[in-house]
Amino acid sequence: MTANGNTAAVEDIIICHDVHKWYGNFHALRGITTTVKKGEVVVIIGPSGSGKSTFIRTLNRLEQHQRGDITVDGIELTNDVRNIDAIRRDVGMVFQSFNLFPHLTVLRNITLAPNKVRKLPMHEAEGIAMELLDRVGIPEQADKYPAQLSGGQQQRVAIARALAMQPNIMLFDEPTSALDPEMIKEVLEVMRELAKSQMTILAVSHELGFAREVADRIMMFDEGRIVEDQPPDEFFNNPRHERVKHFLSQIL
Amino acid sequence: MAVNLEYTPAEPLPPPRSEIGAIGWARANLFSAWYNGVLTVVAALVSILVLWFGLKWVFIAADWTVVVELGGRFILGQYNTEAACPGQNCFWRPQVSLLLVTALLGMAWGTSGNPMARTIALLVGGVAAALAFLPYRLETMGLDVRLLLLANLPALAAGWALARYTSLITLGRVVMLGVAVFVITLALLRGLPGVPGLMPVSVIHWGGLMLNLLLAVAGITLSLPIGIGLALGRRSRLPVLKILCVVFIEVFRGVPLITLLFMSKVLVPLAFPDNFPQEPLFLAGVVITLFSAAYMAENIRGGLQALHPGQAEAARALGLPGWQTTLLISLPQAIRNVIPAIVGQFIALFKDTSLVYIIAMQDLVNIGKVFIQGNTEYLDHARELFIFVAVVFWIFTYGMSWVSDRIERNLGVGER
Repeated sequence: MTANGNTAAVEDIIICHDVHKWYGNFHALRGITTTVKKGEVVVIIGPSGSGKSTFIRTLNRLEQHQRGDITVDGIELTNDVRNIDAIRRDVGMVFQSFNLFPHLTVLRNITLAPNKVRKLPMHEAEGIAMELLDRVGIPEQADKYPAQLSGGQQQRVAIARALAMQPNIMLFDEPTSALDPEMIKEVLEVMRELAKSQMTILAVSHELGFAREVADRIMMFDEGRIVEDQPPDEFFNNPRHERVKHFLSQIL
Repeated sequence: MAVNLEYTPAEPLPPPRSEIGAIGWARANLFSAWYNGVLTVVAALVSILVLWFGLKWVFIAADWTVVVELGGRFILGQYNTEAACPGQNCFWRPQVSLLLVTALLGMAWGTSGNPMARTIALLVGGVAAALAFLPYRLETMGLDVRLLLLANLPALAAGWALARYTSLITLGRVVMLGVAVFVITLALLRGLPGVPGLMPVSVIHWGGLMLNLLLAVAGITLSLPIGIGLALGRRSRLPVLKILCVVFIEVFRGVPLITLLFMSKVLVPLAFPDNFPQEPLFLAGVVITLFSAAYMAENIRGGLQALHPGQAEAARALGLPGWQTTLLISLPQAIRNVIPAIVGQFIALFKDTSLVYIIAMQDLVNIGKVFIQGNTEYLDHARELFIFVAVVFWIFTYGMSWVSDRIERNLGVGER
């Protein structure tokens, strides 16, 4: 049973088994085992340095895991470059610092990958881009450069850029942490709409209101492990771990 | 106790007028304290003295006849002398090359419509045409020479019209034509054995500003791509490639250019068989280009290093393969960030071309030196001669600075 009621989606789209990751001697991920079903919305919280960002970055191979298996959308993540590129085409990612390309216009930021990677003709890619800009509410900014937009607008462009590849999974790495409160709202609005459209979403975020409203599951990371993985109601009202209560009391 | 405060928006006010007239400006900027006042007065006195004596020397004491006497050799060196082209006039060859260049500049202006391209095209065409009116007598500078110089204006117009009113010329074709013009120029200047009217002219007789410009153009256009390649190689994950690039960069950067030029003349003939083409000019060109490329590589690498890693990450996350990430995302930003350093290297390269005097080539500087040594009656006027040479160099290097400044401003759209 999920909060969105999409009980039909039972296919596991992300499967992680005993995933480990070290930075030098630092053991960042210490055996992550979990699955995410198609259409599920998972919000990941946890203290800084707990491995939550590292975890979602291993899912599209921006970080390499050193032990364990990850299968995304039926493709196992190995060193095979073709597999990695295939997964990246299938998985959209939104970063904390937007990472828009400052030397390209908003429209070109969005059309670049569909045009170069999916080989869509430019007019088609532009059609998709304009639709997406419409969806995130800023079609009038298409010909501006990223630096001319507010932070919230930039992040919405970044979401449109990721969606333009028509991914099956969206990863959000603290998408609102660099934003002012007014702008957080406009970005969450877009994410909320996305969550309701059956997209599989993994989001590292400390927006608990958002998590409570749209998440099917909330995961808490601590010291490289998943310490809690529950539907929102259970997570907030009846956490199994003392650590969760302590963390919630600190950020609420 | 509730107080009802009505919200009234604050009226925007004009900024304060801190500068009231020229006196107010001077008081704020020149005489704001007693020591600033003293500095202003001293600086003004020094400037007046320098200007006074400088201008007096330039207009009254200096004797510029040495510049007039050397005349066209400043531009072509010994190219059109009896020794270089016995029994025939070779002057038309560099002139035709110049015509091709102005036509090309006209095309660049016509296709891009860029005001910078317009300025450069009009400047080059205008100066070339103006040379036709040099106050020499006709037997010194014939009608044919003057007409060919004047033809630069119609050539410019033709290039512009061709680009403007037909769809034959695109920016990509202008670049290709540019390469073609460079090759044609070399062929024209060098001559082709067996072709009547194109008798070979040994490169030993090439000289003057023409030589500096040829070396600079070749060096600039080649050192940038080579430098980019070296920079990417140095950042490569392939250990062999990386080490090769590091060694190349450190060797060429660690040795004075003058030493490299000596070595090109002395060592290369030892290292290669006798029938290996060993035009000293060609070797000098290669050495200057590689030397500059080593510096260029480090400039570009600095630009790449300064990029936020998130840029490449975002591109990779979108599924762009590594080479496209480099080509479309990293390099354009890196190069834009280091334009001042790149242009600085271009300027250094242009000035360094005068070091070919080491291999006995008579570039703009050396031709002056040789002239003074051969005509001792002008020995007292070496100062005038070298000031003139310095001004010529400065005009070109300042032109490069100006272009770079414009490019930076054009690219500044939407940046920060």
